[in-house]
Amino acid sequence: MKKLLALLFASVLVLAACSSGGSTKQTASDSKDVNEITIWAWDPNFNIKALNIAKEVYKKEDPHLKVKVVEMAQADIVQKLNTTLSSGTTKGLPNIVLIEDYRAQSFLKAYPDMFKEVTGSFKADDFAKYKVEAGTYNGKNYGVPFDTGVAGLYVRTDYLQKAGLSVKDLQHIDWNQYIEIGKKVKAATGKDMLSQDPKDLGLIRMMIQSAGSWYTKKDGTTPDIANNTALKEAFKTYKALMDAKIVKPVSDWSQFVAGFNTGDVASAPTGNWITPSIKAEASQSGKWAVVPLPKLSGVPNSVNASNLGGSSWYVLNIPGKEKAVDFLAKTFGSDVDFYQSLVKEIGAIGTYKPAAQSDAYKAADPFFGGQKVISDFASWTNKIPQVNYGLNTYAIEDILTVSAQNYLKGKDLDQVLKDAQKQAEEQIK
Amino acid sequence: MNWIPERLRNCRLFMIMFLISVVMIMIVSVAITWTMINMSEKFFIEKFSIMNTKVMDKIQGNLESFDNSVVTASNNLLQSETVKSILTQKESDVNVYYHIGQKLDYIKSLLNNNQVGIVLIGSNGAVYAADSAYWPINDEKLKNSRLIQNTLKEPKRLMYQYDDHLTNDPFGKDNEHYLVASRAFMDRLSGKVYGSMYFVIPESQFRTFYSSYTSLGNNVFFVDKMGTIVSSNETNFIGKKDKHLLLHAQEVENRAGGYLIKKFNGKDQIMLADYIPYLNMYMVNMVDKKEAIGDLIDKKSISFIVLAIVLMALVIVFFSSRRLTNSLSRLVKQIDNVPKYNFHQYVTETGTYETRQIGRAFNSMLDELHDYVDRLMQAQKQQRNAELSALQQQINPHFLYNTLTTIKFMALLDAKEEMEATISALISLLQNTIGNVDETITVKQELDNLKNYVFINQKRYGDRIKVNYLVQPDCLDQLIPKLILQPFVENSFFHGFNRKTDGYIHILIWHDGSDLICEVVDNGDGMQESEDGELPNTQRKQQLFSGIGIRNVHERIQILYGKPYGVSISSKHGEGTKVRIILPKKCCKI
Repeated sequence: MKKLLALLFASVLVLAACSSGGSTKQTASDSKDVNEITIWAWDPNFNIKALNIAKEVYKKEDPHLKVKVVEMAQADIVQKLNTTLSSGTTKGLPNIVLIEDYRAQSFLKAYPDMFKEVTGSFKADDFAKYKVEAGTYNGKNYGVPFDTGVAGLYVRTDYLQKAGLSVKDLQHIDWNQYIEIGKKVKAATGKDMLSQDPKDLGLIRMMIQSAGSWYTKKDGTTPDIANNTALKEAFKTYKALMDAKIVKPVSDWSQFVAGFNTGDVASAPTGNWITPSIKAEASQSGKWAVVPLPKLSGVPNSVNASNLGGSSWYVLNIPGKEKAVDFLAKTFGSDVDFYQSLVKEIGAIGTYKPAAQSDAYKAADPFFGGQKVISDFASWTNKIPQVNYGLNTYAIEDILTVSAQNYLKGKDLDQVLKDAQKQAEEQIK
Repeated sequence: MNWIPERLRNCRLFMIMFLISVVMIMIVSVAITWTMINMSEKFFIEKFSIMNTKVMDKIQGNLESFDNSVVTASNNLLQSETVKSILTQKESDVNVYYHIGQKLDYIKSLLNNNQVGIVLIGSNGAVYAADSAYWPINDEKLKNSRLIQNTLKEPKRLMYQYDDHLTNDPFGKDNEHYLVASRAFMDRLSGKVYGSMYFVIPESQFRTFYSSYTSLGNNVFFVDKMGTIVSSNETNFIGKKDKHLLLHAQEVENRAGGYLIKKFNGKDQIMLADYIPYLNMYMVNMVDKKEAIGDLIDKKSISFIVLAIVLMALVIVFFSSRRLTNSLSRLVKQIDNVPKYNFHQYVTETGTYETRQIGRAFNSMLDELHDYVDRLMQAQKQQRNAELSALQQQINPHFLYNTLTTIKFMALLDAKEEMEATISALISLLQNTIGNVDETITVKQELDNLKNYVFINQKRYGDRIKVNYLVQPDCLDQLIPKLILQPFVENSFFHGFNRKTDGYIHILIWHDGSDLICEVVDNGDGMQESEDGELPNTQRKQQLFSGIGIRNVHERIQILYGKPYGVSISSKHGEGTKVRIILPKKCCKI
């Protein structure tokens, strides 16, 4: 009996050794390209979660595809892409990468042949125009749209009430009206109207995009600063905000979040992606509302809609690209149910128009006093003016940050913008 | 010569045991030491490789961010319309130089102010440079160099090359080497190449990205695909070609997460390597194995400790196995001697449990043997005794009817008194011999018997033969076997006086030390002594008083008392016979 057992044991061992040796080699060699795709993205609470939902959804399409999601800081992704793409190798590149819309054009221009064109794999008309434009280069679609950065004005209704105002008074206003309201609120409650990080010109970006303008001209390369009326008006408004003493200065993201979570500021004009952060302070439930972003006064084509941030998916031109495109097309590119789960599970709003009709988008949110926030954001999304973010958004913003400070210190605005224009031309032209 | 194998034979068991132990201890300790040293060496190397992998990751981080700045700078140049027009237009003026100077200043800021020279070459033949003083190459030479050829061959790539023009130039500076990152100006959409750009990094600058991680015996090498050592903290290797290093690097790289131990520069090195795709080079980290772990494992002291332990173990084994085998071989020696010398010598029960048991078993076997032999002898003795006593009890009927015939004649002669004396002598003789069942009797009783017997004989045959009794008075109470003297007296009566007609018989009893000595001496015919001193056989049975002959007496004494006792006869023809009986002194039992 013992002998028999020993023999059995030995033979099992031998078999196991044989089989393990054989099978691992096979899987490694023949099906890596086909059965596995890698995706790089940042922000585990937002982008990575969205990817994981997409992964689950795509399992119905192709249960054998292994989707490897790698989380990296955005700066690292940019750096790794740059070094790898410029060296001409494809080793270590992912199949899909998330790129911020502001940076997309510079990548597409520098390495057009390294990205896989996705034109036709999704219906571009079903997405917000401004979003599709961000991922389009030379008339071809490269980006599959992900989240919208549609901006809104988050306001504390209780503070408004104290100042004798209501949400109605904030619908479709311009920034000058906003400043006046801010003064009233500060007088009534002692709270600042908003917080600002002087290093971050997000507010100015929202203002100029609401007027269909950007730091560069339509070609994406020529700086458009000195003669940009929208930018000029935005700078003026920015100074007016500061001069009205209704701005609480902050130095980083966590202070920015703390500003509204602690109730120190009465409003936050920013992208919709801030919703989870605002809702994080449950005690403020029912005290918030979202209204359309103010428009620039004195700029005729400025609308009460703009964008801040947002990113899209890009497929790299390496083996496995067909699978990667299919993965994106069947999830982010066309699936209403998928967009509903995105809204429900992480509050991420896409730019896919058919999804706006879905139940999840139309749900009322008790935190915002029963307002159909998602639906509102979705409708504003379609109004966002389309601009070409160009190649050098951040390079120009670095220059403008200094300019803004000079202007606030009292330098002449025209001169400030002229200097910035010159500097920008030297650097990027 | 003979004593050596003898001694060896005695400790053969010990020798075998000890030798086996020695060999085993040696094997075990050597094996354990060897494995231990190997294992710890492996452990240290593994630790080292993990540590150095991390270091290499850090170096990679430095390189990557540097490369990123070069990429950003090159992208900026590539996307600049101004640069494109300057590099393609036919004529250039001062203004162009101003513009390009401004641009290059900005580019330098993108390069984080690293010590990098920048050279732009346009398709129109124009060359613009910033800080190219670092790089002593003239424009003509550059235009014909391998650098530019390689760059234009793969216009999409940002490539890093080792600039070997100085090593080929006999007048070049020997102490500086250069890495050149180059990229072609190419319109990606049209595919048109309109120039090329060069970022010249002095090797000493490149070295700063990793030099803080190196130390004596811990070196970093950058090897390009041609096998040229492009950069290293070991400066005298820079610029040299080493195909082996490249091969090693490829081998290490292909071993996932591993390291190799290779000979380089005549020393064993722990080698780690990473392929850096954007540099298209291998980064090789080499740690001098001797430097790194040579001191960690003190082989000398380990071997000393092991040697000491082995010696100690050997000493212990020597003594303990000696003790074990000693008791055994002593036992063997003792057992060996037993049949040779002495059955009575018991072995000593010492040593370990086993040898004690064996000794005990052997001893009890001896005991049993003794017991058995004793019992056997006892049985034989008893048998013999029984025979003898049966003989003893037997009064020869001849003697009786001869005696009775004598008495009848006395009655006829009417010698009443004589008759009565003879009858009473016969009565007490019969009483003492047949009636008394004791085996031994006192000397006094034996003398009485003798006297009666002699008296009867003298009545029958006349008193020509005189019998004298000379007995030490304190011997009278000594015990002697019954009828021990009678046969000899009888013998003297009937055989000693065939030719002589008269004579005497002396019976002497005395003690000498622990012995009781009886002698029957006659001055009769004497006899021819047989050569072997054997006692003569008596033939005439009818003459005997009892069944006991003189031969039996000797046997009986020896059975009863042992070898030293017995009968000896000396006789001379014509002079008489002397019979000496030696017995142990035995006091009468009360």
